[in-house]
Formats: sequence, C-alpha cells, structure tokens
Amino acid sequence: MQAVARRTGVFARWWLAAVPLAFLAVVLVAPALRLLAEGWGAESLWAPWQDDYLRGRLLWSLAQAAMTCVATLLLGLPMAWVLARWEFPGRALLLRGLMLPFVVPTLVAAMGVLAFAGPNGWLSRWGGPDLQGTPWLLLYGNLFFNLCVVVRAGVDALSSVSAARVAAARSLGATPWRAFWRVEWPAVAPWLASALCLVFLYCFSGFGLALVLGGQNYATAEVEIYTLVAHELQLGQAGVLSLWMLALTAIVAWGYAFMERRLATPARADAILRRCPQGWVAWGAVVAVVLIWMLICAAPLVSIARGAMNSGAMAWAVLTDEDTLSALSNTAQFSALALALATGLGLAHALAAQRVLWLRTLVFLPFIVSPVMVAFGLLLLYPQWSSSFGVLVAAYALLAYPFVAKSLAARLDSLPAHYLEAARSLGASPWRCFWRVTLPLLAPALRRGMAFAAATAVGEFAVSLFLSRPEWATLTTLIYQHLGKPGADNLAAAQVLACVLMGLALLAFVLIEWPTGEDEARA
Amino acid sequence: MQHGIFSFLKTTLGVALLTAGLSATQAQAQELRVLTHSSFTVPKPLLAQFEKENGVKLRITKAGDAGEMLNKLILTKANPIADVVYGIDNALAPKALAADVLEAGAPAAAGRKPVAELPAPLVPVDYGYVTLNYDKAWFAKNGVALPKTLDDLTQPAYAKLLVVQNPATSSPGYAFLLSTIATLGEDKAFDFWAKLRANGLKVAKGWTEAYYTEFSQNGGKHPLVVSYATSPAAELFYSKTKLAEPPTGSLSLPGAVFRQVEGVALVKGGKNRAAAEKFVDFMRSAPVQTGMQTEMWMFPAEAGVAKAEAFKFAPEPTAFSAPSDADIAAKGAEWVARWTKVVLK
Repeated sequence: MQAVARRTGVFARWWLAAVPLAFLAVVLVAPALRLLAEGWGAESLWAPWQDDYLRGRLLWSLAQAAMTCVATLLLGLPMAWVLARWEFPGRALLLRGLMLPFVVPTLVAAMGVLAFAGPNGWLSRWGGPDLQGTPWLLLYGNLFFNLCVVVRAGVDALSSVSAARVAAARSLGATPWRAFWRVEWPAVAPWLASALCLVFLYCFSGFGLALVLGGQNYATAEVEIYTLVAHELQLGQAGVLSLWMLALTAIVAWGYAFMERRLATPARADAILRRCPQGWVAWGAVVAVVLIWMLICAAPLVSIARGAMNSGAMAWAVLTDEDTLSALSNTAQFSALALALATGLGLAHALAAQRVLWLRTLVFLPFIVSPVMVAFGLLLLYPQWSSSFGVLVAAYALLAYPFVAKSLAARLDSLPAHYLEAARSLGASPWRCFWRVTLPLLAPALRRGMAFAAATAVGEFAVSLFLSRPEWATLTTLIYQHLGKPGADNLAAAQVLACVLMGLALLAFVLIEWPTGEDEARA
Repeated sequence: MQHGIFSFLKTTLGVALLTAGLSATQAQAQELRVLTHSSFTVPKPLLAQFEKENGVKLRITKAGDAGEMLNKLILTKANPIADVVYGIDNALAPKALAADVLEAGAPAAAGRKPVAELPAPLVPVDYGYVTLNYDKAWFAKNGVALPKTLDDLTQPAYAKLLVVQNPATSSPGYAFLLSTIATLGEDKAFDFWAKLRANGLKVAKGWTEAYYTEFSQNGGKHPLVVSYATSPAAELFYSKTKLAEPPTGSLSLPGAVFRQVEGVALVKGGKNRAAAEKFVDFMRSAPVQTGMQTEMWMFPAEAGVAKAEAFKFAPEPTAFSAPSDADIAAKGAEWVARWTKVVLK
C-alpha cells in the first residue's frame, strides 16, 4: 500500500480530497459560517456557561451521552462476548437483527419508542413504568440506537483475539474470568473505546431523537440551537452555543479517528473457535442476550408494526392515495440520487484520508455541525437556490455520505498491501490497480456503507429542516402532514406510513448489504 | 465478487441518472414563488386551474411552522425567497410589519370587507379559534366537572390535566399565551402561568406533540389540550366508525380563546407582481374559500361563502381576546422569554 501511495504521488491524493472538501465547503462550512457571521458579536463566547438554562442544556447533553456510553458498554460487552464465543442456532440472524434500529428512520424509531415505553405503551401495560416526561425516555431511545454499535465492535474485536494467547493463559491455570481480564480485555478495549466515541458523538450531537423524545425538560443543546434559530431568530446565542458543541464534539471525533487508525491491523489467523454453549449457565446467558435484544432493539419496532396492524384495513387504504404514491416515488428518487452522490463522495474522502488524520476527522463534520445551522445558512447564502432540487439532494447526501466514508476507511486500514504491490510490479497503472484490485477488495465495506447511507437517506429527519416543495413531499413529510390534523383516521394513516417507511429502509438495507459475508462486515 | 460490485455500482448510478433525467425534463414556465407554512392545503385542481388561467407555474415552498416561515422570510429579506406569502396570522403580523418584509399591492380582494380583519397589507384568507379541547370520555369516566374559568385550571381538581404548546415553538401555543395576557393583564397572567406550572402543567413542543402524544384522546394522559374550535368537527370528519357526535369538545373559557386570522400578502422585493396579486385574489375566490375549509380546518374570511357542513360541530366562540397589535409588536418576544422563564426554567 505504501509503495503505491508513494508512486501515485501526493498530488493524486489531493485531487481526490478536493472533491469532498469542496462539497463540504460549499454545502456545509460556508453556510454555517454565514449564519455565525449573521449573529456574531451579539453574545459573548462564554454566555452559554453563564446562563443557568443554557448551561443546564449543555450539561444534560453531556450527561445523557455519557450515561448512554456507560449503559451500552455494560450491556453490550457481555452480549458481544456471548455472540463471539458461542455458536448457537440463530446467532447470525441475531447479529443482523442488532442492526435493525440503526437503519430505521429517526421519526419512526421515536414513534416506536413512544408506543413501547410511553403512556399506554406495552411497558406500562405490563406493569412497567411510563417513561414519557422522564429523562429515561431519551436514554432508552439512545440505547435502542446505539447498543448495536458497541456489540458489533465487541464481536469483531473478540473474534480477533489470539486463540493461542487465551489458551496459554488457561493452561497456565488462569480462570476464564482472569483470562478475560488479562488477555481478552486489553485486546478489545481500544475497539470498544472507539465504538464508545462514536456512541458519544451520535448521542451528543444527535438531533431528531432528542427533539422528539427529550420533551421540553430534557431537550439537548442541539434542540436548543434549533429553537433559537428556527423559532426565536436568536442567531447570536445559537451561534455561540453551536461553537461550543462543535468544540466538544470535534475532540471526540478526533479521538475516534485517531483510535480507528491505530486499530488498523489485518485480521488474525488464529481466531478463537466458537463453541456450543454447554450447561444451564451458558444457555441462560444466550437467553439473556436474546431477551435484551428483544427488550431494547425489537420492542419499539414491533410496536410500530402492531400499531399499523391494529389501525384496521381502512387505514391501509392510505397506501393507494395519490399523495402516498407520489411520496413513495419521491422517497425512492431522493434516496437513489443521494446514494449515488454519497457513494462518490465517500469513496473519494476515504481514499484521500487513508493516512491523514485531520481528513479522517473531517468525515464527521456532517454529524457534528448542527443541521439547523446548515439549513438556515444555506438560505442566507444561496437564497436563489434555496428551494431547488439540487440543494435538497445535496442535503441528503451530506447527511448520508459519512457512513460510506467511515465504513471504507476502516476497511482500507486493514487491506493487505501485497496484492497491490504485486499488481503494480506486474505493470498495472495506478488507475487499473484501483479498479481491479482495491475496489473489489473494498466491495463488502462499500456495500455496507452504502446500505447505511441508503437507509439514512430513506428516512432522514433532519432534511425536513431544509426548504421543500409539496411536490417533493417524502414519506417523512407525509407522516408529519397526517399528524398535523386531528382525527383517528390521520393517526392511523401516520402509523401505517411509519410502518411502510420502516419496511422501505429495511428493504434498502437488506438489498444492498445482504450479499456481504458476516465476518467481513464491520459497522 | 468483481462482477458483483461493478454491476451493483452501475445499477445505482443508472437509477440515479434516470431519476435526475426525469426531474430535469419538467420545463419551467414563468414562476410565481409562494411561501407557506406546512399546513397549507388547497385542492390541487384549483392550483392547476390558477396556473393555466394566469400562464404561470406555481412554485410552492413550505417552510415549517408559521413562526419559522416568517423567520425565514425575515432572514432572506435582502434577496427574498418568495413573491407572495400565505400564513402570517394576526399574532405574527406585528413582527412581519416591523421587519418590513411585506408590500402593498392592488389585489381586488383587498377592497372587499372580510369577516375577520388583518392589518394591511395582509389580506385575510381564513380564521379560526385557538381554544381548549377536552376528551369527553375521560371527563365522563372520571366524574370530573368541566372547568368554567381560567382560574379553575389552577385548582387541585385539575392538577396534571392540561397540556399546552410552547409559545416559543408553536403558533397555537403563542396565541393561547396572548389571550391570557389580554384577559388577565401581563403580571397577573404570568402569576396564572406560575400557578399552572405548580399544578402540573404539561408543555409540548408543538401542536402535533401535544395532540398526538399527550392528549388522552390519542393515548396520552392529559384530557385538556390547547387546540382549535374546529378540532372536534375534524375528529368526527376523520373518525373511523361514523360517530353521531365528536369524541372531543371545545371549551370556550373566558380569556382562553384567541381568534387567529391568517392572511396572504406580496413579499417586498419579490418578482412577478401581477401574478402575485392574482394569487392573493385567488386565495379569496369562492372555490378556494370553500375547498380549503375541511383541508385546513379554518373558517372562510370571504363574506358570503357558506361554511362547510362538517362545521356544524364547530360552533364559533362568541368572545375572544388579544392584546393590541402595538403591544404584540413591542412586547411579543419579551413575553415569550418571560413565559419560558416562568414555566420551563
């Protein structure tokens, strides 16, 4: 790899980097700066920390992200261990099932979480608590989305622990517990740390889930920025607050990029073989894993499907509405265009950022810059294009392409160098090398990244912040339209459409990702 | 594997190009840019007819809640994103006028006296009443009498029963706050809100959250919600089984009713003035005034247009209250900030 990188030269890399960088500059950085400039000077930089209310919001944002990290680690690590060490029927399916929440549109997820853990939800009907109006609702939502991130990272890491070392420790008399702490844990800790950075990023700078589940009392700083910009036009305060958010998330994003690069090691050959669980303790652990999965990952989704089923045959007639059909075709169209753009951008960014840490960190820019700042900035900077088709597709791609870039970057790190070197020494041009060697090797990671990007594009909630026209209404907009009017029919229609949206996102994911081998896959 | 990824990438690209091509083929006539809030619904055939008769292509942009929409209009004042705007109501009008984003035109509709007035250059299109709604089944089941005054809501009997929208993020929430200020006076109104908070008031971000996740009619815990006087009629209209009467009712407590009048106006610096004026007239034309009633659930502002049959379950409140336009313009933002401090912080 290095040899090739030297020969293709630094120039090629910069040309490659120029594409995503230019895109980010035009669609994200310039608009956000424009909005910052609009309110600049109205507030001191320290204002958010001096104001009790805003400080509370910032601290709560940090606290809920930190609590989610702790909870995902405590639940995720044991789950990962069970999934990595034992072979049982349905294991592969469970691993895939874990990804379900991640590909479900935010709005649908929030509705599902409410239907499960809110008033009249299953949880309270079974005698459990009603989480609405408490901070636990948002935490549950966070857990729903992020548990899979930690479990997948844990399974990947545990699968690459050297079997010889664990065997040596055991034969020297270490208990399984001691062998875990002294051999396995040091090997997996960095992987988990990088996954937790990602979880922290998603929770801290997440917008949609916090907006719907946080309510008025547990809204995060990101939601506060939205209120300040969209509803109160307090651009000064919003700008300062968003700068603090950016500073805090940039540190974490850099930490993630740093760790991810250090973890770049080709997979080990002597992985520990999975055994059949034996004894009631082992089977009990397997059952516990399945139960946790059902309670945290499956329950909200099942609630959505049930809500749609219970809404009656009449409600399903909404699917033949002219509006629904046009929303379906719009959703498909936007997703396809966004996916194509996101794939190009993601490929270019990942290839360019292979050994450049700051470029890697920039992949997270679309996650960590407040979408509200971007949406309003675009309006200010390019009013003539504000409700144009191109801007909307660009917005979709902006929010989706980090998934492609992230997935590819991780795969590129562990790509064996000798294939490329062989191809080069046999006289293949760099371009041919890329096309015939690198790209096919990247295929599983590319598919996986595209699957996430497509699922994101299908139900992107933050895009509703950007100007849209009725003829471009997507399923997400349509759900909101139904929820904007009173009446049982409207509620039922929204539930049915949410179920359809969930199905579409899953379909996109399965179609694109399914052929990928499970062992090559890495979130 | 090689074949797999290539044909897969080609498929993606192909589909993308095809859809891009499809969307590019729609040729553009002269455009009239209309900015609206997200609840705007006028029957499509009427819009098509307008386009045909006036030789323009309507480019309708929905910009979120009415308050959000006005903010977007104010932000882009130097280079407006629309030629005509619909959805600014009497609560927002003072802010729009102060920001100087509207322009007077000479539409014929401006000369006809409407049922409900708006400050010029806004031309009234429709009106409705923001008021409390209650869940009939809940009150019957729990044997609680309906509240009769605003003050009742602060009593222990009504603890934790009411959900309102945050006036900072919702136009009905703001309207409701304005009506309490108009009735009680500023200081007493905020005392009232402090008492409501102590009595377990629930605040939701917007109408949808309040109505669909908090209101007991739809699975929430609160049998009293701030909504519209027409909501019960809509409940009946959209009910699954044909009910004899609405499952909810509107409560016109004195001091808790705000008459919301929505209007349309030309945007200052917008293009295509002639077509924009035509659009203002169009919104007040009989077909639109009739067609939008059971879409947007508002009453027609044009005198002489019959009210929809569904509205027989939506009696118009006889009394309503609102601060003066000058007060709203001068103190509106300050009131919202004070409300946030009293109720949320």
